[in-house]
Amino acid sequence: MKKLIALFSLLLLTTFAQADNINWQKIEEKAQGQTVYFYAWGGSQDINNYLRWANKRLQAEQGVTLKHVKVTDISEAITRLVAEKSADKNSNGSIDMVWINGENFKSMKDFNLLTTPFVENLPNWQYVDKSLPVDSDFAEPTMGLEAPWGVGQLVFIYDKNKVNNPPQSHREMLVYARSHPNKLSYPRPPSFHGTSFLKSALIELSENPDALYSPVDDKTFQRISAPLWSYLDDFHRVAWRQGKQFPENSAETLQLLDDGELDLAISFNPNEVFSAQENGLLRDSTTAYALAAGALSNIHFLSIPWNAAAKEGALVAINFLLSPEAQSKKADISVWGDPTVLQSSKLSSSPQKTTLFKSISEPHPSWQTALETEWQKRYGH
Amino acid sequence: MNASIQKISFQFLLILAILVCFTPLLPGLLGLFFSAFSYIPAINLQTFSLTGFFELLHWPGLRESILITLFVSLSSTFLSALLAFSILQSCWNKAYWHKVESLLAPILALPHVAFAIGFAFLFTPSGFIARILNTLFNDLGIANWSLINDPYGLGLILGLTIKEIPFLLFMSIPLLKQLNVNSTLVSAQSLGYSKAQTWQKIILPQWLPKIRFTLFAVMAYSLSVVDVALVIGPTSPATFPVLIWQWLNDPDLATLPKASAGALLLLLTCIVLLYLIRFIEWLTIVKCRSWQTSGRRALPLAGKSALLVTYLISLIPLPLLILWSFAQRWPFPELFPTHWSLRFWQQEWTFLWGIIGNSIFIALISATVALLFAIVIHEHSIREMADRRRFVVPRLIISIPMLAPQLSILFGIQVATLFVAHQYYYLWVIWAHIFFVFPYVYLVLDGPWRSYEKRLDMVALSLGMSPLKVWWKIKRPVLLPTLCIAWAVGISVSLAQYLPTLMLAGGRISTLTTEAVALSSGQDRRISAIYALLQSLVPFFFYFIAIFASQKTGMIINQSTVNKRSIAHHVPDSKKSDYY
Repeated sequence: MKKLIALFSLLLLTTFAQADNINWQKIEEKAQGQTVYFYAWGGSQDINNYLRWANKRLQAEQGVTLKHVKVTDISEAITRLVAEKSADKNSNGSIDMVWINGENFKSMKDFNLLTTPFVENLPNWQYVDKSLPVDSDFAEPTMGLEAPWGVGQLVFIYDKNKVNNPPQSHREMLVYARSHPNKLSYPRPPSFHGTSFLKSALIELSENPDALYSPVDDKTFQRISAPLWSYLDDFHRVAWRQGKQFPENSAETLQLLDDGELDLAISFNPNEVFSAQENGLLRDSTTAYALAAGALSNIHFLSIPWNAAAKEGALVAINFLLSPEAQSKKADISVWGDPTVLQSSKLSSSPQKTTLFKSISEPHPSWQTALETEWQKRYGH
Repeated sequence: MNASIQKISFQFLLILAILVCFTPLLPGLLGLFFSAFSYIPAINLQTFSLTGFFELLHWPGLRESILITLFVSLSSTFLSALLAFSILQSCWNKAYWHKVESLLAPILALPHVAFAIGFAFLFTPSGFIARILNTLFNDLGIANWSLINDPYGLGLILGLTIKEIPFLLFMSIPLLKQLNVNSTLVSAQSLGYSKAQTWQKIILPQWLPKIRFTLFAVMAYSLSVVDVALVIGPTSPATFPVLIWQWLNDPDLATLPKASAGALLLLLTCIVLLYLIRFIEWLTIVKCRSWQTSGRRALPLAGKSALLVTYLISLIPLPLLILWSFAQRWPFPELFPTHWSLRFWQQEWTFLWGIIGNSIFIALISATVALLFAIVIHEHSIREMADRRRFVVPRLIISIPMLAPQLSILFGIQVATLFVAHQYYYLWVIWAHIFFVFPYVYLVLDGPWRSYEKRLDMVALSLGMSPLKVWWKIKRPVLLPTLCIAWAVGISVSLAQYLPTLMLAGGRISTLTTEAVALSSGQDRRISAIYALLQSLVPFFFYFIAIFASQKTGMIINQSTVNKRSIAHHVPDSKKSDYY
């Protein structure tokens, strides 16, 4: 309780400290009683439960109801927004808040499906760790159109009882696969994790990785990406099912790791291994690690569509999700274990503070499509 | 006076039915055409062009994908029809047929995806069969080949075939009851034909035209299925509908024209295949029918083993799913979970009731309305055909909601609701459910309605009954088994709708299916198992009622309780063994 009071007095103080505190108060008043329809991926019971908790807290503190609309893919929300745009529905839309990043953000930004910049008006913005790349999303400037929510890092999971020295680089993975055929693979692109694996490998193998941070040029694409394809040609020969089949997504690699079909699983959450153990998905002897060069890292964000009906409610909800309380809870590995975007000193004494691996930033988003297309051409049929 | 009121209200219903069931096609198809021809102003595509089609044609792997899709669709349709017929031939009216019928309820109630998950767990290299082998033969290790996601789609063919056989059996029940199989058998056998010959040469040519529309549905489903193909289908390349689904979900909105062009191509392919099935039927039944009359050859069809395999593979996923839903940990190669837990049930329990209520509410309304409309349109068609006026609703139009990828026609429908008044979420969702349920209900009624003995009506009319009374007193009781079955199918189709509910409800309405599908995207077998079971429970209840009702109703001669006695009277002693 003391902590809560301290937290709220801090919150109040900082609110008053801001120039536009009156604006924020108005927003909170307007938000009272609003229902925020939050479109977010619904495939994880941990995340769903966390959002149920957030709803309870928001209802109690701010009178805002946070309704999680579970989707299998956030593009379902974007399709609806495109439909609303087609019908010129520029207010009172049905989606108030979305959980996005990467290409989905770029699409929404390019087609003006997002509200005006808002993040700097959020009282809790001050706690955000600005040393993280919170102002760019896969190298696309966010321009205040989306607020960071958590950090993703590409990590690999293995079983300590089975593997002594897991490969520390993509080159070592090839060596490992040669001595242990049929035991390594990666999710099939264009799945999110699969394409990330390609990007991570190309960053390591390329002679000139800087080129990956500017837009793809058709003329140089083949030359720059060549090392990746010759690597994959070799890798597939000794990969799981000879590279003729691939796991569909990260979850399947976890399942295959547990079944003993694969030696390495892939994940974007360094703490997923803990929650998976607790849930009984993985053995207790499993552990996550990043490659020696670092982990491909990105941030996932919250944003508000241009026509949201409960815009104020959404702002209040996003502000709450950025609060030290909500972020500490989220980072708790028994809850979700998603690394925080706040300065770590701001977290309340969470049972396990999440440490991040050395990070490698995401290439320019245009590489995503280019790599996926070329992969499809070479291996997809 | 009375008659004219009846006539007017019938016409009112007819117009309402046509409006409700077919108007969504207009925005749906328009939306599909516009986006296939790259006209989507919301994403700055403001001129018609063929870009989408060019991109589609240049997509590497398109040919392989379409070929494998055709292969899967045709072979699973053909196999399921063949096997369903051989099961009927071997088992119809056997003493155990009752059990065969009753077991259909749980099999049909299990949603396709849930079946696919169970099927996959049975056959993956670390699956249940592999675990049994591993226990028996000590440490075989894990095979580096799998029937699941195999490149030739064999796993998908097997899965779809096995899932469709029970559906075909279920749809054949009212048909065979009308066909008077028993008297046919008696007369054919008195002419010296064996039972197999009678079934193949006499009953098949009658069964096939009546089951035609159902076969269309089976074929269309296998051609356009996404969820099952994602779980057990080939991946290099994936089947065509899966590709379209992925393109439609692509974050890069510029792929929308390609996706829609693909959806249009799929729709056309579907229509071609429908005509192909119709052509094959015509070829075997009408054109080249010498096999029906010449010689006494009959194919040896192993109906009983087909029945056994189908039922085993269809029913085993159920206990497996129950085990999974209580499993905390179940690693390879254990035959049973090593740790148990109730938490997955407990966590969801409190949220379930509202969701189940919603699902049943929507399903009951949409199935009932769709049933009423289907009856009205069938009655209308039959009268028009009789008067040779032919103001009949073309079957193709009726079946479009069944054939076209839902996502592609829902976009246009969604835009239309936004233009009108999108906040009436329940109205739109129920309407969309009626729209997608209607073709299935219509198809269940199709065979029985067309083969209904019109002379019964004529006799009653000539005795001075009003048409409505004739319908209610004569036709309805005779067709009651069909009506029950159609209603149950309607309810289960409505319960399974994911996209229409999600897209038109704007997230305001959650059903068991929206929850189940969203959760299953996390690929946690345990959560998927819970929702799969819950998804089956509700339709199971309604299928059970329908099967029970259909056994107790219909023409007296065909009611199962009376059946055996009445046949027993007709059959000479020596032949009795054939029926029991």
